Amino acid sequence: MKTAQVIMDTGTHAAALAAKYARVDVIPGYPITPQTSIMEAIASMVENGELNARFIPVEGEHSVLAAAVAAAAAGARVFTATSANGLLYMHEVLHMASGGRLPVVMCNVNRGVFAPWTLWADHQDSFAQRDTGWIQYHCSSNQEVFNTILQAFRVAEQINIPVMVNFDGFAISHCLMPLTLPPQEDIDLFLPPHEPEWRLDPSNPSSFSNVTMAAEYASFRGMLSDDIMASIPLVKQAAQEYKDITGMWDGDTIDTYRLEDAEVVAFAVNSMAAELRLSVDILREQGIKAGLLRPRLYLPFPTEDIIRALPKNAQIMVLDRNLNFGHPGGILASELKSALFGRRNDITVKNRVIGIGGIDLTRRFMAAEIRAMMDE
Amino acid sequence: MLELRINGFGGQGSVTLAHLLAQAALENGEQGQALPFFGVERRGAPVRAAVRISPTTIHAHSQCELPDYLVVMSEKLTQAAVSEGINDIGTVIVNAPQTVNVSKYPTWQVDADTIAREAGLFSADGPTINIPLFGAVCRVLNIPQNIMEQTILNKWPGHNGERNLGAAGKAYNEVRICAPQL
Repeated sequence: MKTAQVIMDTGTHAAALAAKYARVDVIPGYPITPQTSIMEAIASMVENGELNARFIPVEGEHSVLAAAVAAAAAGARVFTATSANGLLYMHEVLHMASGGRLPVVMCNVNRGVFAPWTLWADHQDSFAQRDTGWIQYHCSSNQEVFNTILQAFRVAEQINIPVMVNFDGFAISHCLMPLTLPPQEDIDLFLPPHEPEWRLDPSNPSSFSNVTMAAEYASFRGMLSDDIMASIPLVKQAAQEYKDITGMWDGDTIDTYRLEDAEVVAFAVNSMAAELRLSVDILREQGIKAGLLRPRLYLPFPTEDIIRALPKNAQIMVLDRNLNFGHPGGILASELKSALFGRRNDITVKNRVIGIGGIDLTRRFMAAEIRAMMDE
Repeated sequence: MLELRINGFGGQGSVTLAHLLAQAALENGEQGQALPFFGVERRGAPVRAAVRISPTTIHAHSQCELPDYLVVMSEKLTQAAVSEGINDIGTVIVNAPQTVNVSKYPTWQVDADTIAREAGLFSADGPTINIPLFGAVCRVLNIPQNIMEQTILNKWPGHNGERNLGAAGKAYNEVRICAPQL
């Protein structure tokens, strides 16, 4: 039996390797800034024969996702990657992929959006796609990026909804860390070949996504909304079965740290949530019963799992790396308050916006922020 | 968890040095992380990179604000690098032609420029100082010489690896702690 292999690699290469392990068929890409080296790594894997797939370079991100939609409609397993303004440029086609019920998996490397220009970690880009009908994971380590892309294909193909796998620019994308690669046989067991229920086939012509009258349209949109909610058990099942096969676990819809007896709970996503484990340790040393709750799934929002996990009477400190324009504070806090309203009146939610545009978030700084929030 | 920060100028190979150190940590049976800070990517501009080494999983993803070890690629940057932050009980490693002193911090010195020149290691930006500095930092961190050598050979199999081994080995043996300044 083959054993897992440990290598040193960056977050972007972890994403490219996951696409290879998923045995993807088609990868459309626009490999220019703000894109990261994910596309470059995949293009060389295709070039040197490591990955038997079709790499399609196109002239912009809108066309990237259009090509992904077409390839998925033809029954291919499709992967692509983007970042920041590239994701914003895809916005229209994001709706087409979800409304067309096409199980594309796409990485988005979270960076601040233009204007003004920036390149560093910030979560405005992915949260701004909340209403496009995509399932969204947010990852906090290189290993989780690799593991989640494989789980994302499982979920996407089970329920015919596209999945976005998000992780931070630089803090993860350009960070070199140990990466465990399970044997390919184990991944093949976890993720069998894609068998779509239907596909566009020139030998058996059919049309796709015609004009619908109101009643049909409403029915399709309602089914999409219901199925997004119904993906939660599939997300959990994928995480559990991935763990049974590979031994690796990053949480399912949520991930927690020292939460059971916590009175003060940090709530955040992505790499800052990894760093927050260290802030929790600092606060515990200061005698504060701190813990962490990280939603791994942003969409669908894991309301029930959050409600079950939060200790009684806890103060939740939501740290948002984004702005909720038109409202004070950030987007995660707004989502959390909406989820808790009328359900957990014992919980206090406090919020700060930090780390915009990649401002460095150290364990000491975030521990101090949480202490300051306790006095508010 | 040990934290290092490398301060250098763009083109001096700070990112490769960070990668080598993280790879040496893994080779040595520990966890390693290299997290360069990417700024405007201009040659000659000040650059920095974080390196972490730990027996257990590394969760930190920030730059090292108060490193245990401060690696200074060019003597000219020493004061600026120290002012940027270092652990109170931190150690400094400087590429300098002779003994340097940084008030209150134990300081190691290695002449990486001369070692690289003598080994014939040059890039478009001058002598390839990151190779000797890799050897010197491994010595200061007590990473065994054979682990240091294996890391280089894994990255550059063949002739280039052999040339790099000589320079890194020389620095490993020549890096010296400077007398403390009172």
